[in-house]
Amino acid sequence: MLNRDQLFDAMDGIRDEYLSSAVDLLGYAKEDNLMILEQHKKAARARKAGRMILIAAVIVCLFTVTAFAAGLFSISTRVPDAKETFQIHWDESDSGYLEWSDAKLVLTFPEVTESREIEFRPGWLPFELPETLAGSSPWDGITAETWFRRFSSESLSWPENADHYPSEYGDIMQPIMIETYSMAQFSDGGAMLMLYQTPGEITEEHWDKLDADVLSFHGKQHFDERDIPELDMHLDAYDIDYDYVLLSNEEQGWVIEVCGQLGMDTARKVAENLEIRETGSTLRQEDFQNKYLFIDGGVG
Amino acid sequence: MDDEAILNLYRQRQNSALAETEAKYGRLCFSVADNILQNREDAEECVNDTWLHAWNAIPPEHPSVFSAWLSRVTRNLAISRLREIRALKRGGAEIPLVLEELSECIPGGVDPQKQAELRELSEAVNRFLAGLKPAERDVFVARYFYAASHAELSARTGWTLGKTKTVLRRTRLKLQKSLKEEGLC
Repeated sequence: MLNRDQLFDAMDGIRDEYLSSAVDLLGYAKEDNLMILEQHKKAARARKAGRMILIAAVIVCLFTVTAFAAGLFSISTRVPDAKETFQIHWDESDSGYLEWSDAKLVLTFPEVTESREIEFRPGWLPFELPETLAGSSPWDGITAETWFRRFSSESLSWPENADHYPSEYGDIMQPIMIETYSMAQFSDGGAMLMLYQTPGEITEEHWDKLDADVLSFHGKQHFDERDIPELDMHLDAYDIDYDYVLLSNEEQGWVIEVCGQLGMDTARKVAENLEIRETGSTLRQEDFQNKYLFIDGGVG
Repeated sequence: MDDEAILNLYRQRQNSALAETEAKYGRLCFSVADNILQNREDAEECVNDTWLHAWNAIPPEHPSVFSAWLSRVTRNLAISRLREIRALKRGGAEIPLVLEELSECIPGGVDPQKQAELRELSEAVNRFLAGLKPAERDVFVARYFYAASHAELSARTGWTLGKTKTVLRRTRLKLQKSLKEEGLC
């Protein structure tokens, strides 16, 4: 029976070319890397000894920021210049395109030729799903066991089936929305765009449990106080606030957006408890009409 | 100085071979030893043993990739040293000596069947590595040959710590599957 010592010893026979390539990654042969290597070794020892937990935390943060700055996370974000224009496919316009500028955030993904299609099942929601929702098609027969590719308030048969919709969320437009996307859709320069809301601080993580890179942030859109003379109405200033959690798996090429108005903790808890599976189908860019999507276009 | 020139110095039995090797590969060998031993003095001693081994082995040996050859020598010396240290902790100072003395009773000091099995395993590992993406392969070799820490790999790849661990875990599972398919475990 093979044991770990034998496997460890067998690593001795790894080909020279692979050893050299790994040394290049590690930078052991480069003098200019001495300082940084020493710092990492010291930090690793400090963590191992459990003496300097704070230093370890700072270094972990530093790595996260570095990955973010270098765009090595599987989702890249940037705030576009106000004049930057996106030509969005739009059948209803004469040109077939819509020119959009003043986007607030651009999210791009690794170029993949195809994505594995996935579906999900919420393992936790801030309200209970009734055993069967008797809404109109296509939502008939939805239960807690149903697998989704998009889950939104529409799937709760609201407002027609208001009994099934928690009354405390009655004045909230979209308590929780979950939607799957494919990285293949965004290849060839495509992106997810935030059109209206201004993003707050963006956090990057990796969740081992779901094998996903995770990006989370708050989005806010402000409306000034105004009169609507036609309706003889006055509106006070107000904000629309959403919390976004985006999960992505570069290897399989999928993205899941969880967003809602119940706070970041709720959005994260919904995301953390998703059950995800592949449908067996693959998707390519030609399966989609548009290489852009609006992250805040389907909510509110 | 390029590797072939350094190797020629060994063949000509010139002491400068050691100085040139240390200048070019001292950092590499120290890193390999220090990753395994986690002790500066032990690592330095191990590196010195590497130079001695190189001096005794070349010629007749002619390493095709000198850096890889030195890495292997250093790694083996460091692992031996680590096992000695562990044995000392477990069984006192006599155990390593007893084992050393007993090894003299084994003809040639090596078990040919074990060596053949190890070679077969190494070849299976190489076949597996050949099928990986270069980035995955580099990280796997850096971790399981050079014993680089997760933090160091994270800094080198630019990946988050979590992603680094996930990539390694995924690669280990693939290796397990590959070895099972080859009937090796």
